[in-house]
Amino acid sequence: MKERYFTTFRLILLALFAALVVVAKIALRTPLQMPGHSGIFWMAIVIVAAGVVPKAGAASIVGLTSGILAGFLGMGDFGALNTFLSYTAVGVGTDLALLLLQDPENPATSALSAALGHMGKFVVKWALSAITGAPAGFVALGLARALVGYIVFGALGGLLGALTLKALRRAGFFAYVAEKR
Amino acid sequence: MSRTRRVLIGVAILIVVGGALLGLEAARRRRLTEADLEPGSIPIYVEGDLAAAFAPDDRERLEQVAFQDAEEGKTQEGWMLRDVLRLHLAEKSLTPGTLITVSSGSRGKSVQLTWAEVDSEENMVMFDLSGRGTLKLVSKLNRLDVRDEWVQDADRIEVNQP
Repeated sequence: MKERYFTTFRLILLALFAALVVVAKIALRTPLQMPGHSGIFWMAIVIVAAGVVPKAGAASIVGLTSGILAGFLGMGDFGALNTFLSYTAVGVGTDLALLLLQDPENPATSALSAALGHMGKFVVKWALSAITGAPAGFVALGLARALVGYIVFGALGGLLGALTLKALRRAGFFAYVAEKR
Repeated sequence: MSRTRRVLIGVAILIVVGGALLGLEAARRRRLTEADLEPGSIPIYVEGDLAAAFAPDDRERLEQVAFQDAEEGKTQEGWMLRDVLRLHLAEKSLTPGTLITVSSGSRGKSVQLTWAEVDSEENMVMFDLSGRGTLKLVSKLNRLDVRDEWVQDADRIEVNQP
């Protein structure tokens, strides 16, 4: 029998990570008034998801699913479409970056992948702002500063994700998942 | 391909995409004309260039404030000019001495304030939504606290460094 690209078990794992992204966005608050600061949490989750399910498209599924969840929950200031597209962009951007950089457990490649993925979100938000004329929150702080914020916090999230993956490997999580699969 | 090479390519992509984005934004801001603005928007000019606009949708995003004017005791309710400017302009472009001119082409009225005056909460420099659906600039400032001094039907904001 032909093996499916994503097993049901892996899809369930990815859906759980997607839910975790949304929960993190709602529940985890930092007092930083800087654009992109939440990337430190959710890029860590996306990188962990890409490490736990090491297949191209895993991060995209997390982005897409979390985008649907966040859209239906009314998250974001600029409507469901903006929320959906920006969440999806994070996943797709991270996936594309990982295709090039590979190895989400390596802190350097992971940080760079996450920075690129998080920048994907920024690009989508900017593009929607340019197309629809909707004000973008980051405009008030200056585009360059906001862009740097997205890259830095994305990279920090990626670093956190790589460290989490290393900790999971040490704890025997991957061996456990291999058995369950 | 070695990891170092892949990382270098990744960094290059990051720089190219970021640079392209900043370049496109700069070009977009240069191309912006009043014809592109949503009807009902008040254009904001910085040093003579159209930089942004206070659009009707922005009103939903800003906190509403109110005060009673001393002249007639009526409630003036709307959005602080400082919040409007902060929403669209970089903080660094607004220094205490920055001159802000709000004018009305149809009324032939205008008022020039400094950012320090606009930014002061007690001055309550704000746009009130008139019954006709246009915005008038009102405040508690001595030189802008009565009807004759207010700028009704405001249709232009200019920001200039002294």
